[in-house]
Amino acid sequence: MILTRLSLSNVRNYAALEFAPAPGLNVLAGANAQGKSNLLEAIALLGTGKSFRTARESEVVTSGMPTAAIAGDAQVGAGMIRLSCTIALGATGTRKRYAVNGRNVRYATYLGKLRVVTFVPAHLQLVAGPPSLRRSLINTALAQESAGYYAALAAYGKHLVQKSALLRGVVESDDALLATYNERLIETGTRLILARRAFVAALDERARAVHQGWVGDADGTLELLYASNVPVEVPTEDAVAAAFTARLRTQRDSESQRGVCLVGPHRDDLEFRLGGRALAAFGSQGQQRTAVLALKVAEYGTLEARGGEAPILLLDDVLSELDRDRQRAFLHGVASVEQAFITTTGDVDVPSAATYRIVAAQLEAAG
Amino acid sequence: MPTVGPKTAARLVFYLLNRPRAEAEALAEAILAVKDRVRLCSRCFSLTEEDPCALCTDVRRDATLMCVVAEAKDIFALERTSAYHGRYHVLGGLISPMDGIGPAQLRVKELIERIASERPSEVIVATNPNAEGEATALYLSRLIAPSGVSVTRLAYGLPIGGDLDYADEITLAKALEGRRTLQ
Ligand SMILES: [Zn+2]
Repeated sequence: MILTRLSLSNVRNYAALEFAPAPGLNVLAGANAQGKSNLLEAIALLGTGKSFRTARESEVVTSGMPTAAIAGDAQVGAGMIRLSCTIALGATGTRKRYAVNGRNVRYATYLGKLRVVTFVPAHLQLVAGPPSLRRSLINTALAQESAGYYAALAAYGKHLVQKSALLRGVVESDDALLATYNERLIETGTRLILARRAFVAALDERARAVHQGWVGDADGTLELLYASNVPVEVPTEDAVAAAFTARLRTQRDSESQRGVCLVGPHRDDLEFRLGGRALAAFGSQGQQRTAVLALKVAEYGTLEARGGEAPILLLDDVLSELDRDRQRAFLHGVASVEQAFITTTGDVDVPSAATYRIVAAQLEAAG
Repeated sequence: MPTVGPKTAARLVFYLLNRPRAEAEALAEAILAVKDRVRLCSRCFSLTEEDPCALCTDVRRDATLMCVVAEAKDIFALERTSAYHGRYHVLGGLISPMDGIGPAQLRVKELIERIASERPSEVIVATNPNAEGEATALYLSRLIAPSGVSVTRLAYGLPIGGDLDYADEITLAKALEGRRTLQ
């Protein structure tokens, strides 16, 4: 996929911007607070309908303005697709609208048309940070890849919130209602578990190879393991549903007593191991960062292989966090992707890159 | 008032100021009549001026069918289709514990009692195809199943006049699941 046109209106510090990105590597250079990350955020919003920087989408709208609009054209396969995402401020919160080729569509239809893989400094905490960070990486990737995954994830989340309220005693406890929510959680959750398991296996294979190419076998093999809250030997729908049902039964009293949903993929994790040892506990910071880089390369490769189309790679200020050797190895890999955007306060030494200087929300081609 | 914003309200005021007094009085009376005369049917909990309502007392309607809806306004939507001639039951909402709405806050007990006394052969749950509508329907079917009465739900499908091309994958997948043999 190649974004060929990006148009912004009232997006953060951009009153209006027309940008025609190049294929390959686009370097967005400039001092801090000029609008580099805002531009990257806008591209991610155009693709996923979500900001990677904030959960409060009203922040994306230029202050004092009622609506932010992001539109773009992308080359997908042999055809072109026109996308737009608008965020309007209202009395009861923000309202987002999505359109594909000029037609308004639901989010479920919009998501996945323009796929992005983002890499922001917060991702460097992926190994040692909270499990929610790792689940979010898996969910963001799989929701873009499959509308069915997104639907299952959304439904699972809604039923989970309702079951939690029931367990907390917000309404009178009711066995049939609890059984109803559990039934829906098993049905939607089984789909999530199977998809995650296959995805992590694909990530593991790629990350292992990438990691070995970078550092050899000196530290041992890098492994990514899917630590499912509902483990099964054989990954079939029946086996997962049966294990889920059994675990809900054994945890039933604990769930009621604590008023918390203890069973299900909302408690899944992704575990990093190096040479057979848990990287979060035993790895140095350098080893953890190398593992994250390998994971990100693997994520990109997996989405490309499974979607039959290269996603757009968005790199927000990650270079400054890396030492020279890792920078070089990473840029070498990035230079050959179909399209990538990278923000930096310094210079990026890639001859084929298109570089733009950003000063106060103004874009200027610098070669 | 719902759907009436400040601009519309101002326009209504100016309109009424320009009308004769008698007209304003008639309108005021009509509003009072709504307040005084419209009540809930004690059987199906729809809105009515007479209790039980015309839908419940009309002997031409099929008493073997009972359609469960969330709100009284859903009855008007179904009646406009002229495709359904059975009885109704209004729950008064959808189950949503996070909003403090459990089965006890809705007319679920009344529904079960009606099924026991009226013995319909089929209960059609016509709730919205969202998470709350789905959970409510599944919950009701769990409750009704032991009585032996068959419980059905409205089919999910493609909008008439829409393009397959533009249907989202979820709707399309649901429509595939609910496919039918061509007669
Ligand atoms: Zn009635």
